[in-house]
Amino acid sequence: MVDSRIHTGIQTHFGVLQLLCAVLFLYAQTAAFADDKLMEKGKAIYAKQCADCHGDRGQGVQSVYAEPLIGDLAVSELADYISAAMPEGEPEACVAEDAEAVAAYIHEEFYSIIARVRNQPPTVDFSRLTVRQYRNSVADLVASFQWGNQFGDEQGLQGRYYKSRNRGKDNIAIERIDHGIDFDFGEAGPDPETIKDEQYVINWSGSVFAPETGYYEFIVDSSNGGELWINGGSEPLIDFRVKSGDQTEYRKDIFLIEGRAYSLRLDLNKAKSDKTVGIKLKWKPPHGPEQLIPPHALSKATFPEWLIVETNFPPDDKSVGYERGVQVSPEWDEATTAAAIEVADKVMARLDSLIKVREFNAETEPKLKQFCVDFASRAFRRPLSDEVKKLYVDQHFEDAPDLAVAVKRSVLLTLKSPRFLFPYIGSSEFDDYDYAAWMALTLWDSIPDASLLKSAAQKKLVDGKDLQSQAERMAKDMRARSKVRAFFHQWLYFDHFSEMDKSDEEHAQFTPELAHDLKSSLELYLNDIFWSEESDFRTLLQADSIFVNPRIAEFYGLPEVKGPLFEKVSFEPDKRSGILTHPYMLAGLAYEDATSPIHRGVFLSRSLLGRFLKPPPIAVSPTPPDLDPSLTTRERTAHQTAPVACKSCHGLINHLGFALENFDEVGRYRTKEGEKTIDSSGSYVSREGDETKFAGAEELSKFLVTSDEAHQAFIEQMFQYLTKQPIQAFGPEMLSQLHDDFQKNNFNMQRMLVQIALKSAHQRRQARQDQLAKTAAN
Amino acid sequence: MTYNLQRRDFVKQLGLGALSVPFLSGLPSLGYAGTTAKKQRMVVIFSPNGVVPDQFWPEEEGENFTLKPILQPLAPYKDKMLLLHGVSDKIGGDGDSHMRGIGCLLTGTELFPGNIQGGSHTPAGWASGLSIDQEIKNSLQSNPETSTRFGSLEFGVVVPERADTWTRMVYAGANKPIAPIDDPYKMLSKLYGQMKDRESLKSILDPLQADLAKIRSMVSSEDRQLLEEQTTFVREMEQELKQENPAAVGHAVPQLELGVRDTNENMPKISKMQIDLMVNSFKSDFARIASLQYTNSVGQAKMTWLGIDEGHHSLSHEPDSNTEAMDKLTKINTWYAEQVAYLCKKLAETPEPGDNGSMLDHTMVIWTNELGKGSSHTLNDIPFVMIGGGMGYKMGRSLKLGRVAHNRLHLALAQSFGHNLKTFGNPDYCGEGALSLS
Repeated sequence: MVDSRIHTGIQTHFGVLQLLCAVLFLYAQTAAFADDKLMEKGKAIYAKQCADCHGDRGQGVQSVYAEPLIGDLAVSELADYISAAMPEGEPEACVAEDAEAVAAYIHEEFYSIIARVRNQPPTVDFSRLTVRQYRNSVADLVASFQWGNQFGDEQGLQGRYYKSRNRGKDNIAIERIDHGIDFDFGEAGPDPETIKDEQYVINWSGSVFAPETGYYEFIVDSSNGGELWINGGSEPLIDFRVKSGDQTEYRKDIFLIEGRAYSLRLDLNKAKSDKTVGIKLKWKPPHGPEQLIPPHALSKATFPEWLIVETNFPPDDKSVGYERGVQVSPEWDEATTAAAIEVADKVMARLDSLIKVREFNAETEPKLKQFCVDFASRAFRRPLSDEVKKLYVDQHFEDAPDLAVAVKRSVLLTLKSPRFLFPYIGSSEFDDYDYAAWMALTLWDSIPDASLLKSAAQKKLVDGKDLQSQAERMAKDMRARSKVRAFFHQWLYFDHFSEMDKSDEEHAQFTPELAHDLKSSLELYLNDIFWSEESDFRTLLQADSIFVNPRIAEFYGLPEVKGPLFEKVSFEPDKRSGILTHPYMLAGLAYEDATSPIHRGVFLSRSLLGRFLKPPPIAVSPTPPDLDPSLTTRERTAHQTAPVACKSCHGLINHLGFALENFDEVGRYRTKEGEKTIDSSGSYVSREGDETKFAGAEELSKFLVTSDEAHQAFIEQMFQYLTKQPIQAFGPEMLSQLHDDFQKNNFNMQRMLVQIALKSAHQRRQARQDQLAKTAAN
Repeated sequence: MTYNLQRRDFVKQLGLGALSVPFLSGLPSLGYAGTTAKKQRMVVIFSPNGVVPDQFWPEEEGENFTLKPILQPLAPYKDKMLLLHGVSDKIGGDGDSHMRGIGCLLTGTELFPGNIQGGSHTPAGWASGLSIDQEIKNSLQSNPETSTRFGSLEFGVVVPERADTWTRMVYAGANKPIAPIDDPYKMLSKLYGQMKDRESLKSILDPLQADLAKIRSMVSSEDRQLLEEQTTFVREMEQELKQENPAAVGHAVPQLELGVRDTNENMPKISKMQIDLMVNSFKSDFARIASLQYTNSVGQAKMTWLGIDEGHHSLSHEPDSNTEAMDKLTKINTWYAEQVAYLCKKLAETPEPGDNGSMLDHTMVIWTNELGKGSSHTLNDIPFVMIGGGMGYKMGRSLKLGRVAHNRLHLALAQSFGHNLKTFGNPDYCGEGALSLS
């Protein structure tokens, strides 16, 4: 399941800048006191013994060892490694004090994070919209001409059971929330007392939440007729009004983008000829198994039709751990053209519902023109200057052969415009509209909404009057929730174990369906903690409860629950520690038939401690357990990573991963592996060289919740996911200020979300103002 | 959701290399597919509610026959005409005659039991197999020499906005009816959307270049790089759009009258627009198979432009003794014959691209109906009027076949396309094999 991913995963996940800052301040002192003499010595040895392979500045030598010499080991650890392993093939040539001198030298000059920031200070990248930002911006842009809604917390659809075919309000026999559509009413029907007619209608309405972007297959299973509508439109997604032959299952797919709720309407028509009444509504989400749509994905709230961009975009650069729009390519440019055409066509087809214009004539011209102006100004995140208005709107109304063509050209041009695609163009002084654009991108990956634009128009963002309240309002919006969700997905490595299947002989019950339920369980848990009032980061790592449905409860031997709603129950309180021991994580970071301390350790090193790991020097496939069945997983792992070349990373990785060995490959607690007792002792050496020892998940979690490194790693990764920029580009104080704030506010993550948006925007303003002052002075 | 599906296909195609290769050239067979094989097309035209037999069928059999009033508009094509009297739709089973009439017409197989209740008989669902036009289309599409961009195109004229057994004639398979596109603008966009887009894109290039230049000067030199690259792409797009569009050579996007609503009164206009689009699509070799469905089985067109205010289906129930009704039904059917004649005329006037003769010489137009006669609801003597060429049939004849199963006609059609089917639809009705029409 994950075998080759140990190494490929590392490749895609580490990055030079990602972790630069976490130790910036911790190290400032050690670096500053570096001894001159030692430096001289180290420099000389380096030039003589190392530079041939590593380059004079550690930049690497293409044909010999191309990787740059960078990392975040403490000087002492680096020295140990050099002493034991370098120069390659002749490690005895540089040992003990020599190795210490070289370690100190390279650490100071180019290896350490501080050195790298000093040598090449990161800047805010001038970026284009990422694919996620593009799709969200278009959906919100078109929706800004419609009404809006929020998903709410009530789970399920509004069900209306009519006494007959007449859908009058007075004709409703039953009205209730149904948590899911899984009904077999048999011959009697839902309620023979009140529904007696031979023909009647049952209607369910509300919305369905799409957790990921991709094609969703919807499946209706019914021996009655009816129709299913998803995301409005002019036709049902599934029209099964005509019943024909033995067909009772109908399926159709539709492309949906993540983090939004799509209106759903399902009708069941009981016909005279129908003997029985029943219906199931299932879906097959991207990367998920076919299943009944779970209650938490359903709401009675309805939504207007979203405009979904289906055009396939090339994936964004993710080399530094988060998606960012730092490159343009011919493929990307073509995709923006295709998408502009797609959006223009769809907008033209629904002008009627957007601005209530059915005809193109002299009478409707002002309305059409205003639409184009609004469309462009919302897309550009600021009002149009006269010049821009002429270029993007007026000119087309003068030149085009007819009004429909004028509107289409204006919309196409707007969507191809750099003013839309490059959201940081803005103004030179970073004005109120830049603030609005920045906050909308940071919190929503989208464009500002009407309220935010109003604050910008009143100039209440730069002066701070509306700033806090806007950021807090925005943080409560569905779009912020969606972005937080996406952040957790990445932080917790969800992408790396999306197709978990262990249902072999040993774990027949660990089916793809159970794996998917566990994913939902973890998401509900994250949601529950993040959006609670305390929103305490430490609870993430400590809570001893879990959300379960009947399948999960049965597998983990928990007391029975009724379903279909997930319930929060206590889960082995003396053994479990929040996300560290959630079965989805434990099983995801494991093989089919054995745990993987390495996967778990890599996750803990990178995500929770923000450590930098290099790709392994050689591709290694894990030793299969049956090679020597007498070894425990721990022993096998230690054996395989014993070579000195592995040590610099696995010294860190393994000893974190070992602490979770009490949990098997499907996330169950264990004290023995075969005949042998589990050894779950582990340790961690901080960037400063301080060692902490712990045994088991509980102690590991206690260490993490008090670790500054862990707090900073969380802040930094969240910051970079939200802004799509390296935190170091926002000045050396950004991380320490956010860290102080985090500590002072009981590690409140919601507050951190808002603080990141506010502080990063403020810093951008400051930087532009400084720039202006500098230009003026020159 | 057909729109979305088309959309998706289109976007995929466009996304794959829209502007790096000449627009559209990445699509299969936009040039002329199968220049080696002789080009053959088939068009099935449907009109509903049976005919007035004594105003329709010639008395004579053989090469010397006289056209009755309804077929008079087709007189110019008499020598290219093959009239098949005596073909029966023998398919039984669920569904009333109208439902089986349209649902089994091209499929030659039973309807599934279902929940659609007709005027009599048992309720039924969709047909249990694919239709002959789709069978032939699949065969053509499987051969690179005869494969075209769409394979087949399903046109409609004033087809009601509901999907049921009476409104669907063409099937991609059992329980898979295909909805005809009865909105000419939608068909235009399906056929030529990409070329329209090309025109729109051309028109935005100048302002886009101008604004890019302005913005480049606004940002710092470090930030300019992405914009420089973007500018290059726009320039490349311009070069690209300047190249001749291979699909547009010789046949520009047809101009449609704007704002024709999908209403009963506009039926003549829509009919003409759809036929124009069909002929155009043949010129571009977008498809070799087409169907054109007027209204639906039990269709209620009110041909007010002929001075007829009653609905067609209601009139068709009148007994033969009602001469006024018979007169109106004759007029209605004559109007349908005029539509067939218009298609034949357009095809006859257009030289076959890359081959000898006219397009009509390479196209078999087949006009048919779900019933033989409206008032009796008979499925015997279903009208099959064939006009054109290219199938190897001996044309210019009136045949009296005496109740042969229509499945055998389908076999003949398939075999004429080199698709050597032995049975089609319900094999029980394929008895003596393909009808011999040569």
